Amino acid sequence: MSSSLLTDKLRARIGETRVYIAPEPIGKPAFRYFAQAIGDHNPLYTDDQFARDHGYSGVIAPPTLVCETNQYANLVRESSGYAGHAWDLEIPGTRLLRGGNEYTFHQPVQSEDVLTVTWSIVDMAERTSSKGVPMVIVTSQAQYHNQSGDLLVTNIETLIYQSRGGAS
Amino acid sequence: MTSREPGAPIPPLERRIDIADMVSYAGATWDWHRMHYDMAYIESAGFTAPIVDGQMLGALMAECMQDWLGPDARLTTLGFRFLTPVEAGSVVRCDGVVESVEPGKIKCALTVHILSSSGSVVGIAASGRAEANTL
Repeated sequence: MSSSLLTDKLRARIGETRVYIAPEPIGKPAFRYFAQAIGDHNPLYTDDQFARDHGYSGVIAPPTLVCETNQYANLVRESSGYAGHAWDLEIPGTRLLRGGNEYTFHQPVQSEDVLTVTWSIVDMAERTSSKGVPMVIVTSQAQYHNQSGDLLVTNIETLIYQSRGGAS
Repeated sequence: MTSREPGAPIPPLERRIDIADMVSYAGATWDWHRMHYDMAYIESAGFTAPIVDGQMLGALMAECMQDWLGPDARLTTLGFRFLTPVEAGSVVRCDGVVESVEPGKIKCALTVHILSSSGSVVGIAASGRAEANTL
């Protein structure tokens, strides 16, 4: 019988939450920078008048931006270069892979929004891949609110801790 | 002109992702992970080329939907799974098909394909689904 990757100590972390409050409004430069980086020239993200003509009070964020940026977290870079939210789960003998994301866009993000981001560990489950490799699937949720308490976006993120040892 | 009927394809969006794009994206998202530009780190992790931040593909899916539906439509959901890592210098293409339509709403299935230099599909980077309000 193979030993379980998902220990009681890990399982005890289900329900853990962490809250980040952005040090400043997200700002129009963040929208323009992101749009330029991905090569998206939609004027909704850079042209206030265009955005107003289409029912907004000004430019809006490219939809996936708030789920991607670490701007709000205000953390120091790790040796890997990463500077965003992480749970720092220690699962010996595994490597971390990104599974995917489920975004729900409740309302557009605007430049004056100051984000409060609440991360929580929703679930952890042990699975075996189609190739017989043991892994732990960690499901997290992030909710992005603005300073008025409006829920802007929900992000369900799946991380996969896959055994380096191959099939058991 | 593509129709908004179930089964109809949506206009594809193709893009080459070079390391300059990846560095730009890393800066724009405050994500300076070395996997995306530092060859010594990349090789120590067992890869032979910088790996595209998977979320760039999510942004491509969002752009594909928004470009097609126009500025009066609003994306309400986007979900995707990563299937194959994409190396720097790859050309990817977001393809989609309409899944369902109801008044003011549309739902599409999306796939980000990896293309060869001749433009044929050599892999699937990500697959997902998006919904939008079209009123």
